[in-house]
Amino acid sequence: MMAASATFCHHCGLPLGLRPSQRRLGGTHRSFCCYGCILAFQVRHGSFEETQETHALIRLGVGAFFAMNIMLLSLLLYSGALDFEWDQLQQLVHIALWLLATPAVAILGGPFVQEAWQEARRGLAGSASLVVLGVGGAYGYSMLAVMSGGDVYFDTAAAVLVLFTLGRYIEAAGRARAARDLAPMLEADSLWVTRVEGSVEVRRPIADIVPGDAIRVAAGERIAVDGLILAGSACVDEAVISGESRPVAKQGGDRVIAGSIDLDGTLLVQCEAAGSATQWGRICQGVRHALATAMPLSGAADRLAAGFVPVVLAIAGAAVLFSPQDLPLDAALLRGLAVLVVACPCALGLAAPLATALGIARLARQGCLVRDGRAIERLASVRTMVFDKTGTLTKGTPRFVAMNAGASLPDCVLRRAAGLERHADHALASAIAAAASARRLMAETMIDAHVVPGCGVVGTATGDVSAIGSSEWLTTLGFAVDPVIDAKARSFASDGYTIAHVGWAGRVRGVLAFGDQLRPEARRVIAALRRLGLRTLVLSGDQPEATRRIAEAVTADGWEAKASPEDKAELIASWRRNHGCIAVVGDGLNDGLALAEADVGIAVGTATDLARETASLVLPAAGLELLPRVIELARAVRRRIIGNLLWAFSYNFIAIALAAGGWLRPVMAAALMAGSSVIVMINSLRLERSSNTREARSERL
Amino acid sequence: MSGVAMAYYLVIFAAGFAGSFHCVGMCGGFACALGASMAGERPTIVKHLLYNSGRVTTYVFLGGLAGTLGAGLSAAHAAHGQALLASDYVLSLAQRLLSVIAGLLMLVMALQLLGYLGSRHAVVGGFGAAGLTTALGRLVRAQGAAAPLALGVANGFLPCPLVYAFTLQAAVAGTPLSGMLTMLAFGLGTFPAMLLMGGIGRLFAPAWRRYSVRAAAGFIVLIGVITLARALLPVSSMHVHLP
Repeated sequence: MMAASATFCHHCGLPLGLRPSQRRLGGTHRSFCCYGCILAFQVRHGSFEETQETHALIRLGVGAFFAMNIMLLSLLLYSGALDFEWDQLQQLVHIALWLLATPAVAILGGPFVQEAWQEARRGLAGSASLVVLGVGGAYGYSMLAVMSGGDVYFDTAAAVLVLFTLGRYIEAAGRARAARDLAPMLEADSLWVTRVEGSVEVRRPIADIVPGDAIRVAAGERIAVDGLILAGSACVDEAVISGESRPVAKQGGDRVIAGSIDLDGTLLVQCEAAGSATQWGRICQGVRHALATAMPLSGAADRLAAGFVPVVLAIAGAAVLFSPQDLPLDAALLRGLAVLVVACPCALGLAAPLATALGIARLARQGCLVRDGRAIERLASVRTMVFDKTGTLTKGTPRFVAMNAGASLPDCVLRRAAGLERHADHALASAIAAAASARRLMAETMIDAHVVPGCGVVGTATGDVSAIGSSEWLTTLGFAVDPVIDAKARSFASDGYTIAHVGWAGRVRGVLAFGDQLRPEARRVIAALRRLGLRTLVLSGDQPEATRRIAEAVTADGWEAKASPEDKAELIASWRRNHGCIAVVGDGLNDGLALAEADVGIAVGTATDLARETASLVLPAAGLELLPRVIELARAVRRRIIGNLLWAFSYNFIAIALAAGGWLRPVMAAALMAGSSVIVMINSLRLERSSNTREARSERL
Repeated sequence: MSGVAMAYYLVIFAAGFAGSFHCVGMCGGFACALGASMAGERPTIVKHLLYNSGRVTTYVFLGGLAGTLGAGLSAAHAAHGQALLASDYVLSLAQRLLSVIAGLLMLVMALQLLGYLGSRHAVVGGFGAAGLTTALGRLVRAQGAAAPLALGVANGFLPCPLVYAFTLQAAVAGTPLSGMLTMLAFGLGTFPAMLLMGGIGRLFAPAWRRYSVRAAAGFIVLIGVITLARALLPVSSMHVHLP
């Protein structure tokens, strides 16, 4: 049960009552009296930065304030609550509406006018143009009506603008969410650093730093500049830039790279380049650029709208011109206005961004970063998926696979190897230690063992000189080569295994083979992808035998080996021509080109930053498992978007026909249009719910 | 405006006033966060007036929508039934049904305010809530003269049992105008406490607030019972005509 202090709401301090709502927020369990308090608590304790998005939000809020007032007054007008026995009263209400509508239209319409103007200068007409035309028409007509008498449609103008602005905001919020998850890749321009000025140290934003400044970097801090170490020494993690995952020891006179992290010591660095002048700064700019790319199908919606606008204008014109002769001009103009209003592709504007933003948000919650909005659309149409072998399908760390001990006892060979490798710290050493302990073997105690860089380890046990390393090095140490072992070693090597020879007392006694370890989930993932109708291929720079073995183990449809980074990119390009849309899943520096060449580049968790830079989707560590679900989600998003677009278009089509025929008043048209947006919104939100339940189900399994 | 109608709106205002000590706990944080303006006393007052106007405008808007919806439901039902039955009977039946539902829901809200029921947050959860939270968070910290107004507008949409209860009452009120007035009376009732919040910048004592929340729940029970009674008792004189 909860502690006594938890009998009051964590936010408002009132008693919780019999059935409080409990949430785990900020790592601790908290109890609230109502849902509103949960939200309010999150608002008060969350971290939010002020951005352009905030300005859009203020715009939306203030615009909504005016729009709501307009709609309230209009509601009163339509409901007949204000009955006009006195004609001037109606005039007054109309003027009040006009006064309210002018700021609303100015505040909310500004960005659309700007956009429409930019489109017009490029000779285009998109959804912004329709909004401007429709709203401008409604506003202009109403303004005339205020002066000459007649009905006003300020509420239509305001409602259209609020709905459209809401759509834009939701789109921007989706992008901002992705941006937050990418924060480390975006902070190059926003870091603060400690500058040493004579005897004092001051915190300055990175923008103030110029080459020549002395910067103090504390342990755990990110180094924000390229520079030269003046004093101090530390281990530095340069993974962000070089992809080197091991810490690098640095001391006075060494160079440090911006973006790397000082792990343990204090450094005094003389700045040589700061901010956007560094490679890190350029990567950050690249990420920002990706985030700013427009969402895919909203582009398609805009392209469609571009063809749509002239047609709508023609229909509106025709509705006015070819209205029955006895119709007064006022009524004829109303028909044209109804057409313009009902044609405003509100739902169209919302259809794609909302579904895409929801998709991006869903993926972000699972740790998958979508770096390019278009990736989701392309992912849905991917038919072939190419996997890099090392580090993606395999763990990238060697594992002891087999050995040949010639005439000696295999366990003896392994014990010597384990004893020698205890003194080394490279990847093979831990593989040998694991193999020895799996067989419950004690490592042989070595005297005077030491690593010979680039060759192996040599030491003395039971009076014999022992060594582990390459065959050539053992020969130079004077060990005699055993032809049986030598033949076996050759066959191991041609199979794609890494080998190490072990020898003592003047003879090579055995050879150990190491293979890359298949990720346990790889086979399952590929099978799941095949069920989704995808062709899977394995691409590697490794030996053909090693590649074939992995490809067969995961039951891939094909493989290609010994490919250099350039070869990989060329292969991808040719496969694209033959097989259509291709996704490449990779991790390392050597597939950066391939990732960039693919329609969708997917980098997996441990990916180096160059891979991340060229990939449009970044999966978390051990994220291979998520791939089938990502594909399913992308397809669900596409289905929703297409459903939304179909709905919005057929809805618009029918509504335009009705409006042109005079069966739809502009206000009804606006109401219908708002209804269409709501339906699109609900349809998109189903995306969130359906994947939620699917996730819950798979978690239970 | 008749005396009965006046009394009705006064009860709503009183409920809003008492209930605003609930608001002070939940939304008062926003008022506090808005805080005092650096520029002096007058800008501070302007800021908090803007925030509260935004909030009340949203309430009145919700009331107008609810009133329209309620009127529409009654009218639609009436139009549908007219061919079959005497119109005034059907009209009152539709209104009675709506009133019964609203009255019962108000009693549920009152119980929830008193802490006897858990909140039903699944209804408003999901993307909408997350979006609203983010939006409010940004606006609370935003600079700029217009930000408090936008904050108030968004704040008005924050799920709150009080707002729900009075929006329901607005739906039963019968016309868009009476729906708006209902929510306006409620909103103005919450005005003093929330405005004060900005000024004094700290929460009232929890015990104090607990009593007034109970009082608010009492008012809601009262209004709910009246709503139910209007629907169930066959006394036409009980039918208050709201402007």
